[in-house]
Amino acid sequence: MVALLFTGCAHGPKAVSAPDPQAESLQIRLVSNAATPEPPDVNAPDEPSPYGDYTDEEESLDYPEEEAQVDVGKIADPIEPFNRAMYHFNDRLYFWVLKPVAEGYSKVVPEPARVSVSNFFSNLWTPVRLANCLLQLNPMGALTELFRFWVNTTIGVAGFFDPASSEEINLQAQDEDFGQTLGFYGVGQGFYIVWPVLGPSSPRDTLGRVGDYFTYPISYLDPWYVWTAVRGYEAINDTSLRIGDYEALKDAAIDPYVAMRDFYVQYRQKRVEARGTQPKPVSEKEAEGVRPTTPTGPMDRIFPLYRQEP
Amino acid sequence: MKMRFVGLGLLIFFMLASLSYAGAPLDTVKVNADRVLDVLRDPKLKAPSAKEIKKKKLEVIYDEMFDEVELSRRTLARNWNKLNEAQRKEFVHLYHQVLEKAYADKILSYTDEKIVFDREVIVSASLAEVHTRIITSSKEIPIMYRVILSGGAWRVYDVVVENVSLVQNYRTQFNEILAKNSPEQLLEILRKKVKAS
Repeated sequence: MVALLFTGCAHGPKAVSAPDPQAESLQIRLVSNAATPEPPDVNAPDEPSPYGDYTDEEESLDYPEEEAQVDVGKIADPIEPFNRAMYHFNDRLYFWVLKPVAEGYSKVVPEPARVSVSNFFSNLWTPVRLANCLLQLNPMGALTELFRFWVNTTIGVAGFFDPASSEEINLQAQDEDFGQTLGFYGVGQGFYIVWPVLGPSSPRDTLGRVGDYFTYPISYLDPWYVWTAVRGYEAINDTSLRIGDYEALKDAAIDPYVAMRDFYVQYRQKRVEARGTQPKPVSEKEAEGVRPTTPTGPMDRIFPLYRQEP
Repeated sequence: MKMRFVGLGLLIFFMLASLSYAGAPLDTVKVNADRVLDVLRDPKLKAPSAKEIKKKKLEVIYDEMFDEVELSRRTLARNWNKLNEAQRKEFVHLYHQVLEKAYADKILSYTDEKIVFDREVIVSASLAEVHTRIITSSKEIPIMYRVILSGGAWRVYDVVVENVSLVQNYRTQFNEILAKNSPEQLLEILRKKVKAS
């Protein structure tokens, strides 16, 4: 939060006293765009070269929303050596254990069945989402979760189907967890931590996970190995629906560790900012059939055990 | 009297026409996306041997659809100024290849996913966002395109997948590299990345 305010201020005054010719020509370009909306002449002599300098003013003049986002991907990483080691450990865990197991599993169980299993677990995550809607003073979100639970547990056959998300009912799962609730009350991420097995986190989100643990009914299964087995199965089922996502991120990255860290920070930040999940815009009718309960986020997909709420 | 109204009407007509010369941002992205889908669905190009032809066709659409220089400038942000013009040109070229390597096969493996165009948000006279969703059999992925009016057309300069900005993600990575390395070393890292695999 402090960092955001800080960058916000840093941009303001500069825009006024900009001796940079680049910035000036940009301003002219903007003004001319607004006044005489003619197609800009590509050969115009005063048109800046596309390879011209980058100016901060550009960001603030051109795209006010993004001003505050300039440093969004920044998070302190004081324990980077440890984190990098854990990142590699998790990477191996994925390629050597989780992925082969999930691939084998998906050969045996067809996709619609796996989507249904995912829906079933998602339905059990309702207390977590409901509690956090209430904690974030979002009664509409809480009501949405209550109705969803009722619809999906009854018509949706104990949660295996997700009629509540259909276009007709349009009750979308509210992507909320305790980490986001802490963020809602102004708690910052702190610094970056990569936990073995669990993946990217921060002090705030680690604390959030503890809250999620105690609110997720599966955690109360007894004895402990039943709980472990069920969570493990949930993770394998989820992984089977998203094989290839982590590989894609890794292949596209120049430094996969940094790419993942930025991904995590951007993703969590946006989820804190977005309160609840808006109903779907009315659009052309979608394909019938089973669909997963929520658009599972990239972190959930990339880090199988990360799943805070499906 | 009548003539005056006709004149006024014509004036308004021309004003509107010049205002909308670039078309709506959403329509521009949609037209390009449809062209991509046409290539992917083309029954004549179904054979695996036609992969290279498809790639060539997609590259032409990509060049029109994306504003590569803007994409590169916004990715490097303040670091862009550390590169001289020749380095900037090479960076744009290498970045293009990195993205192509990473995403071409993903796009070519397209099967029957549906793209829904939800809405456009006008940010300023020359910037807008186009919100879309890709619907697959098991999931739904929101994708937002940031577009800029350049050269008389709306062109994409950032893709935001599930709230994660591509430009931002690479910006963080390049920032990290440039904090410890020279621009030349960054280019070398990219050259290696492009050559590998």
